[in-house]
Amino acid sequence: MAAAIVAARAPPGGGGAAAVIAYHHCASPSRALPLAAGPSAGGGVVVGRRYHHHGGACCFAAKPTQVAAEVDQGGAAEPGVASANAAVEAKPRKKARSRRGRKGKRSSSSETRTTAVLEEEEEVEVKEKKTEEDGEEGKRKEKAAGLDLDEVMAVSPVGLGRRSRQIFDEVWRKFSRLGQMSSASSTALAEEEQAVLIRGGPMCEFTVPGAQDTTVLVVGATSRIGRIVVRKLMLRGYNVKALVRRNDAEVIDMLPRSVDIVVGDVGDPSTVKSAVSGCSKIIYCATARSTITGDLNRVDNQGVRNVSKAFQDYYNELAQLRAGKSSKSKLLIAKFKSPKSLNGWEVDQGSYFPNTFASRFDEGIDASFDFSEAGQAVFSGFVFTRGGYVEISKRLSLPLGSTLDRYDGLLFSVGGNGRSYVVILETGPLADTSQSKKYFARMTTKVGFCRVRVPFSAFRPVNPQDPPLDPFLVHTLTIRFEPKRQRPGDGSQSATDPRNFELILEYIKALPTGQETDFILVSCSGSGIEPNRREQVLKAKKAGEDALRRSGLGYTIVRPGPLQEEPGGQRALIFDQGNRISQGISCADVADICVKALHDSTARNKSFDVCYEYVAEQGNELYELVAHLPDKANNYLTPALSVLEKNT
Amino acid sequence: MASSTSLAALPSQLASPARRAALSRSATARPRHHHHSLLRAPPKGCRLVVTCNAQTAVPTSIAQGTPVRPTSILVVGATGTLGRQVVRRALDEGYDVRCLVRPRPAPADFLRDWGATVVNADLSKPETIPATLVGIHTVIDCATGRPEEPIRTVDWEGKVALIQCAKAMGIQKYVFYSIHNCDKHPEVPLMEIKHCTEKFIQDAGLDYLIIRLCGFMQGLIGQYAVPILEEKSVWGTDAPTRIAYMDTQDVARLTFIAMRNEKASKKLLTFAGPRAWTTQEVITLCERLAGQDANVTTVPVAVLRFTRQLTRFFQWTNDVADRLAFSEVLSSDTIFSVPMNDTYQLLGVDSKDILTLEKYLQDYFTNILKKLKDLKAQSKQTDIFF
Repeated sequence: MAAAIVAARAPPGGGGAAAVIAYHHCASPSRALPLAAGPSAGGGVVVGRRYHHHGGACCFAAKPTQVAAEVDQGGAAEPGVASANAAVEAKPRKKARSRRGRKGKRSSSSETRTTAVLEEEEEVEVKEKKTEEDGEEGKRKEKAAGLDLDEVMAVSPVGLGRRSRQIFDEVWRKFSRLGQMSSASSTALAEEEQAVLIRGGPMCEFTVPGAQDTTVLVVGATSRIGRIVVRKLMLRGYNVKALVRRNDAEVIDMLPRSVDIVVGDVGDPSTVKSAVSGCSKIIYCATARSTITGDLNRVDNQGVRNVSKAFQDYYNELAQLRAGKSSKSKLLIAKFKSPKSLNGWEVDQGSYFPNTFASRFDEGIDASFDFSEAGQAVFSGFVFTRGGYVEISKRLSLPLGSTLDRYDGLLFSVGGNGRSYVVILETGPLADTSQSKKYFARMTTKVGFCRVRVPFSAFRPVNPQDPPLDPFLVHTLTIRFEPKRQRPGDGSQSATDPRNFELILEYIKALPTGQETDFILVSCSGSGIEPNRREQVLKAKKAGEDALRRSGLGYTIVRPGPLQEEPGGQRALIFDQGNRISQGISCADVADICVKALHDSTARNKSFDVCYEYVAEQGNELYELVAHLPDKANNYLTPALSVLEKNT
Repeated sequence: MASSTSLAALPSQLASPARRAALSRSATARPRHHHHSLLRAPPKGCRLVVTCNAQTAVPTSIAQGTPVRPTSILVVGATGTLGRQVVRRALDEGYDVRCLVRPRPAPADFLRDWGATVVNADLSKPETIPATLVGIHTVIDCATGRPEEPIRTVDWEGKVALIQCAKAMGIQKYVFYSIHNCDKHPEVPLMEIKHCTEKFIQDAGLDYLIIRLCGFMQGLIGQYAVPILEEKSVWGTDAPTRIAYMDTQDVARLTFIAMRNEKASKKLLTFAGPRAWTTQEVITLCERLAGQDANVTTVPVAVLRFTRQLTRFFQWTNDVADRLAFSEVLSSDTIFSVPMNDTYQLLGVDSKDILTLEKYLQDYFTNILKKLKDLKAQSKQTDIFF
């Protein structure tokens, strides 16, 4: 069988080819003889390969021989059986290959292949190997192999004939190739060499550096967008996991073969947990199949919540494994677990109207920051003075080597009666407080315990002339309570005066920054949904988006216009924030945005709408929009997104 | 396969003996075993009789039914140099790609890894074709017979069957890759067959797009770049022919732009690279980029031509003669290039986006040399093992 198929791929020698092949085939057992006489079996293979590389000028004729030789090695006990039985052949060959140090998971899939017809992939591997080795230590090797060759030839006239045959073959191959143009007609010959460049090779336009080390979980891999996302990821060499609800033959047929299929439901946290482990990115393009509220909640709201929570948990696990040294670890700024931990915090009070301070309407200010008997650090009191405020502040002392510029924001774990507070960060030289600049951001808490994220980008300078906050320079953290802009008391909760407050502090941490987004959510812009269910759909989607934003993951939320099934990359795209888009967009373009956003730092923590450029009717053009046309090697995403607001 | 159930509804004529007879009748016009007489005959007589009799077989009723999605395409010859680029491009642009490959013991796994669907069919067996066309909007045909097999099985008989079948089944666009100047060199079998296929498509009444290509940069790697790096001898001719090589990735990209462009419908486009190169120039460029001199063996074109004449005398070397047939073209001082400005304008493509050969080879050598360096660093440790 081997001989027959090899003949089909014979070298260009035409009629002579069959003879060559037959010769190789017969020759291989005889070649095994001197090898077996060598010091050891393992060494024998290596020598054989060298010999082969030396003489292996003709790719077509040479490779099958090599295989045959290895088979004879592996199945030395019954060489006749080995050459007849494909299954037996496959096994020793695999062994031989692993001995060569080939790694990668592709080799596992090769078990099913038969030996004789080498898949291009393997040809590439062999060829690549050959090229590299030959180039690398060509001379030395040639010499070593030459010695072996001499010995072989000395003992066996067969080897001599074989060698001359190979030389003739090579000459003939090159000669006959001259008569061709490098066009479609010579493809098969050039295939081995050029495939090195194409499949995942560095010159392929689809290659993404580091894609092999990135595992992407695609939730909703069989959706209109998801299917294209999976393909795009595969083309770029990512490891892809697909979360599907059922693993029917129909579903599996739809996905590329080497996708890792995980069966689960986003509504079920336990299955989600196993799906996210081992992943470094998530693309969520699942959506409810109906507009029934239950479905919407399950997939668009609770599903996003479950997946992002599971992913954050997985990150936390990783961080714990590395004992806080992981890039996913948060930085502890303050932890309030003992009375001692309150040291350094100062309680202060003041007023926005210094002149009216102590006026006749002064009804008093009182505030304290104590460690309660219940083991909680409580900042509480009241501010009845108009324009008055109270605050606690502390000069930050970060662990050696960590600076806040490598963090994204602050995370407060707090409890209390649900007031809103102002967080103030002070920057500037420590020695001269007159030069310090203050930045503020509002932090809204809930009744009971909650965690609040305040990204550094949310801080605004107190003095509008100051430059934006540079977290690196921050030296003091202040939490201020002021009775202004408090929500009216939550009726049921003993209807307290909004001027009373109680804040239980558990810890303050800095959130690690990331260059890239962790979680890409395909939401929708709301146009194109049947009007009577629009509200419900948008509500569920919005809840899901919010859950993701609060999760602490780096997120990108893509809200495409109505999806159209047509090829992507044809029309210019509009990226916008704020429900102004009107056009549709092709699924392929949305998929492309998702894949591009994986490694785009400008996509991190952004939500945006995207649709086709509006094409006005001839003569009706009002204005020209700035649009971004996807093109070869044109990264339209970065310029488009860099002008959009962060943390939206 | 999902399509098998709906097959019954398809024109049964295609697989029926009568239909096959029609195919083989047209096949007799083609010069399978009359190779010598063909070449010696005057040019007029050697032209194939090109008629399309597919119209007569079309049942009028297939117009109705579920409309096929415009994103569903079939790529014929998907494992080839160009074919795989077309598949990648199509998948990346969001098409649902079906690949027609010959049944082989080792299936084209990489296509399925990318997300394409693979169907088995053999163009030389017309009865296997119709099933593959079910639900397909566009056929992209990049198949060319392998050099080691007789040129006519796939390139003429198979194509005729495929085109007739495509017509009968209402395929809405047929993209065919041909060779530049193929109408000017009827003495080269492959070019003649390509030219006849072009005419056959034009007569078939399909909405078609024919793309003539000059040469692929990818072919140069195996022919010149690798031998130079391996310090093996490079064989070149002294032919003055110039070829405007093009990157297959660019070909694939432009193909899809042209395919969707209404203005390019039923057109014959020629894609050529930015500059035409002679063999000598390419070798010089490779030498410069590799930083080492090539061991060039120059074969005069006359020798090639002589060998071709010689090999034609024997039946068993006929295929070799066919392969060497391009020597006629090579010696004819042709320039395989066309000005692309009109094409770029038609397609709305920027000429700056087309990869030049210098850049292509430079990328190749940079990457390969870097890889070799890495390997050398590694091999210092592994040496001990050996």
